[in-house]
Order: sequence, then C-alpha cells, then structure tokens
Amino acid sequence: MRPVAFAMLVFVALAVGTVAAEPTYRAFVTNERGDSISVIDSRTNEVEATIDVGDRPRGIGFSPDRAYVYVALGQENAIGVIDTRTLEVVKKVSAGSDPEAFAVHPNGNIYLSNEDANLATALNPDSGEILAEIPVGIEPEGVGVSPDGSRVMVTSESTFMVHVITVPDHEVVANILVGARPREVTFSADGKLAYVTSEISGQVSKIDVAANAVVQQVKLDIPKAKPKGVVVSPDQKTLYVSTGSANMIAALNADTLELLGSVKVGRRVWGIALTRDGSRLYTCDGVSNTVSVVDTASLTVAATIEVGEAPWGVVIDD
Amino acid sequence: MRIIPRSLMPLYAAIAFLFCAASAAALEIRLAYVGSTDGSAWLGVLQGQHEANIQGRFLDQNYVVEAMTREALEQADPQPAAIVAAGDASALRSLSEAMPGVAVFNVTAGDDALRQACTTNLLHVLPSDAMRSDAVAQWLQKNPEADVEAWAWHPKFVKYAARDLNKRFLKVQGVPMDDDGWAGWAAVRMVAEAVIRTQSTEPSALLAFMKSEIAFDGQKGVPHTFRDTGQLRQRLLIVEGGKLAGEAPVRGVADTTDLDSLGVPSCQP
Repeated sequence: MRPVAFAMLVFVALAVGTVAAEPTYRAFVTNERGDSISVIDSRTNEVEATIDVGDRPRGIGFSPDRAYVYVALGQENAIGVIDTRTLEVVKKVSAGSDPEAFAVHPNGNIYLSNEDANLATALNPDSGEILAEIPVGIEPEGVGVSPDGSRVMVTSESTFMVHVITVPDHEVVANILVGARPREVTFSADGKLAYVTSEISGQVSKIDVAANAVVQQVKLDIPKAKPKGVVVSPDQKTLYVSTGSANMIAALNADTLELLGSVKVGRRVWGIALTRDGSRLYTCDGVSNTVSVVDTASLTVAATIEVGEAPWGVVIDD
Repeated sequence: MRIIPRSLMPLYAAIAFLFCAASAAALEIRLAYVGSTDGSAWLGVLQGQHEANIQGRFLDQNYVVEAMTREALEQADPQPAAIVAAGDASALRSLSEAMPGVAVFNVTAGDDALRQACTTNLLHVLPSDAMRSDAVAQWLQKNPEADVEAWAWHPKFVKYAARDLNKRFLKVQGVPMDDDGWAGWAAVRMVAEAVIRTQSTEPSALLAFMKSEIAFDGQKGVPHTFRDTGQLRQRLLIVEGGKLAGEAPVRGVADTTDLDSLGVPSCQP
C-alpha cells in the first residue's frame, strides 16, 4: 500500500472511529494455530467473518478509540492492525522478537512482552517507533496498564515476578514475587488493585498497587486449576478467572478472593473478556476450538460458538 | 524496591558504609558442582546459573557455581548454599554423608536403592529407574506392541513452556537439552527459588524449604515437589525411536496429574 493511500485510510478510519460512537458489538478472537481472527456478532453470537491475520496470533486489544484491533503475531515479530469496522488488516508494525501479550496505554502506545527476549517493549503503533525496550525476567507474558496510565505491570513466567514499570520514564521500580508461572495481570477499574494469575502454583494474587506488594493470595479450590485469564467486573466486586485444562471459569469475590462459584466451559480455557455491562463473559476454549458465552448472573453457558483452531484471546467492542 | 533478606540487613548496611555506595552490592550465593564438566549435566548447571542471574538482577543477587573436587568442597569455608553432583550412586551417597545439612542434588544416577536409602539431604532430580519402567509399563498397557523409553526431557518437547526452555538452552549452550541438562538446570533454579522464597542463604534453611514447600516450575506443566525419599515428582516423556510419542502418567491408564503412579512414592514400606 502506498504511503499516501495508507495515510488517507488512517484519516478516514480515525474520522469514522471518532465520529461514530455506536459500537460494532463485535467480539474478536485470535486463533493461535488457525492464524486467523474470528469475528463474532455479540448480539447474535454468530461468526460473521474470519480474517487471515498472520502467523501465530495471540495477544489482542483495541486502540483507545476502538477504531483498530491490535493483534500480536508471534512468528512475524509484529503487531497486526485491523480496522474494527471494515475488518481489513491495514498494516503490520514491527514489534521486536516474539510478541505474545500486550496492553494498550490510554495515550495509544502499546506495551508488549517479547517472550524469548526477556524484554517489554513500548511501541507507538501509529509511527511504528519503538519507544523503549525494558529488560524484564524470563518468559515475560502478561501485561497490564493502570487506568491512569502511570504504570505498567509485566509478569515474567519463569522468574515468577511482576515487574512494575513507570510511565513515561520506563523504569522498573519494583519486582513483586508471586506464585510459579504468572500468566496475566489486570488492574481494578479504580487502579488501586491488580490481580495476577499463576498457572503452575494454581494461585490468584491481589496486589496493592500503591504499596507494590501482594496483600492476598489464594490457591483456587478447583481440581487441576491452572489459572490463566483474569478480568474484574465493572462494579469491581467479582473476579473471573479461567482455569486452563480444568475447563472451568471461576468467579471470586474480588475483595476476599473467596470462590463464589464456577461454570464448566470448553477444553483448555485461556483468554476471557466481559461485555461492558458485565452480564456476559466470552471464553476461549483452546482445545475445543470454541468460544463459550457465560451468563454471569446465573453462571451458566448461554451459547457455544465454533471458531478457528486454538482460540487464545478475545476482546469485545460493545 | 529491592527485596533484601532481613537477616542480611546489617551486612548491607556495612557494605554501604564501607564503600559509601549509593546502591548495595549484590548478595552473592555460592553453589558447588562436583563431577565431570564434559557432560551435559554441567551445561545444565551453567544454564541454571545464567537464568538465576537474570532473576537475580532484579533482586540484587548473584549466583556463582564453582566446579570443584570433593576434597576442596569438604574444606570450603563457608559451606556452599547447595551442591550439585554428577556421579555414581556410591559417590553421591558418601558425598551427602560428608556434607550433612547441605542439599546435594543428584543429577545423573537413577538407582532405586539410592532413593530408598532415604538420606536427609540427597535430592534426586532425575527420575529413578523404577519411575522410568513404570512410565513404559503404563504406555504398553495402551500400546502393547510399542518399543519405547521414558525420558525426563526431550529437545523437541514443546508443550506447556518446554518450547521456551529448549529454545533458550540451545541458544546459550549451543547444544540441545537432554535429561542431564534438564536436571542440572532444574537443580540450580530450585536453589535460587529457595533463596528467594525463604529470604535466606543458610544451607539447612534452603534444604528444608526444598524438601517441604517448593512447588517448582520445571516447564513440564506441573508443580514439582519432592517425595520423602528425596525424589523429585515429575512427568516423564515417552520416546519411540528417538521421537517424542507421549507423556506419563499416561492418559487413560492413570490420572495424568498423579505423579506418584510412577516409581516408589515413599520411604514407608
């Protein structure tokens, strides 16, 4: 694509994204082995399109205005950029070695983990400029950005730490020890707490963000649970955790980390996302090649949707 | 923020005072290696040291593994935090008796009798011969015609995070990771985890932590703990003609997370 044409496309897309407040109600799912994105209409739970995105898509997230979907392409060392409305892959931005997971900062920059390089990378997806490469532990994975954008947390799986990085100076100011193989980290809506899942130790940790310290840690009381995905309900009262090959979603009291209930979904459940109102949870069932839709009030599966091979992560534009 | 063991705070203060340094020097943790430095067990130890130091960078810790003779080891003062040993059963047994209170990691010998001796300080990282034969027997229940072996590791293993460990071992050591390489790597990483979790460098405190509390991520998809025999619980890999064929405990024959379905689970008869 010629630069001028591309600039026009970006301009038009930005204009559309900014002007049109109406969401697309689409859920976007990365299929790690299918090398594709399944696009689901969350109003009907039907797959409306499948996008050939590139080699080994895993991490997925929106630009702040939701005009674009970003996808980490591990085998292409790139972030793929998809237009949320036209579903076109508009460009691919170099992202350093083996990008796996990422989070988007309120200012639009992407913070990502380079799994085989022990680095976290700050990337401007518009210019393609790499703003910083920050040394972290071995097998960095989960990335979370605080709601106020002042800090980024990155988990390192083989060194069982959460690295706390300040923005904009990109300094590692704390290294918080958690259970073996920390996979994901997410902040509460008010930014005061962060939650971390540890796959091998089977634990969920609650971090006091101001203190940079673990204040609570529980082992999930579900046989064979390997905690992976973690999201907080909009009212900050409930935590939803995916349990990998235990094939369950756990609902926890976000304050006490007490197990409130669980629901069986498909096999090897990893990535999860809540609708904006918190009423439904979409789950990536990696071995079943399905997305389950959980009704959070009743903790039952409301729909099961066939997607591509090895679904990994999901985001919803609603 | 640095995590500094409380017991070492006076030491840090003293160092800071002596050098008027803005930042404290890293805490040095010394390990000993006794055995051949030609084999892959030593490469595994070096990989473990390399990774422990990547971790240590964030915690102001520096890990040093020194290859030494048994004679030099017995005279070492202070004692090393832990010992990694490659050798036969009798050499390991006598070494562990000469160094009571210090963890001695067996990274080469599969002898069952050495496990059933139930010493206080020998920790067997590689599977016992009985674990390997049980893994093969489980596999043969479903595939009676197969001609297979059970390995602790395989350089083409990708599940869980094995892909990542194989990739970085090959990159740093220049050869594929095998059983002894995995055992050497795991031994050093477990010592580093014990130091970090206990906030201690006392050999006996590290040994106690490993025997009772550790849930180590050996990148085989399960937490690794030690039996009272000193044997590390683990998954084994079923290999046919050099190629990875499956895992044990074997699905359909045993619960895949019942690691005590392999070998002798306890000192108790």
